[in-house]
Amino acid sequence: MATNPESTTLQTEVPVRLLAELQSLVDAGWFHSVDELILDALRRFLDSHREDLMRGLIREDVEWGLRGTD
Amino acid sequence: MGSPWDGLSQLDVVCDAGPLIHLAEIELLELLSDFKTVFVPVQVWEEAERHRPEALSSAVRLQKVFIEISFDSRFQTLARTLLLDVGEQAALSLMANQPASVLLTDDAAARLAAKALGYRSHGTIGILLRSIRRGLRSQAEISSVLRSLPFRSTLHIRQSFLEAILRELESGPGEG
Repeated sequence: MATNPESTTLQTEVPVRLLAELQSLVDAGWFHSVDELILDALRRFLDSHREDLMRGLIREDVEWGLRGTD
Repeated sequence: MGSPWDGLSQLDVVCDAGPLIHLAEIELLELLSDFKTVFVPVQVWEEAERHRPEALSSAVRLQKVFIEISFDSRFQTLARTLLLDVGEQAALSLMANQPASVLLTDDAAARLAAKALGYRSHGTIGILLRSIRRGLRSQAEISSVLRSLPFRSTLHIRQSFLEAILRELESGPGEG
């Protein structure tokens, strides 16, 4: 249960092997906990996709601008 | 590149505040004159009036439109999820009345919403590059404008993206 009022709890199923890999990163000292690792991974996912999104939109502008028909 | 003059475009556009403001900053609002009609929802008009009033007082004919923001539940869900502001919501609502138009916006979320609703959308970069194809500006002029964007405009675009556009532009826009 989330204790921070600005957080919420997300429950999901993950493959045992994936969780073991995550745990090994925690055990190696890269993260304090699996929770922290998952939060970090989610933030990175959102950041990278935001950039992909921007790149895609600019690509569409370039195509329309230079090679569009209207 | 298209012929130097293909005649007046038959394309109608619905304009959000971003392109109005950004084109005014780089003194290229007149590029909007190449569209058949430039519709500006009153909510967008008011936003531009607050941030860049000269964008509305240029020689370009802008058609101010009174439009109610859509109450459609799918639309409202999109607006809430993507945190669209009033102007963006108004522009997208207007698009519902004229889906063949192109929405001009520099907001990524508004463009995502447009895509989800089946509308075409483009931003200031597209308008600038289109002006070369339409024979309104030379490639050299637009290259120079693109290079100056970080200093002359509040349009935020990653330097690496800008460089990629310039490379493509300068390697021959009609070759792709």
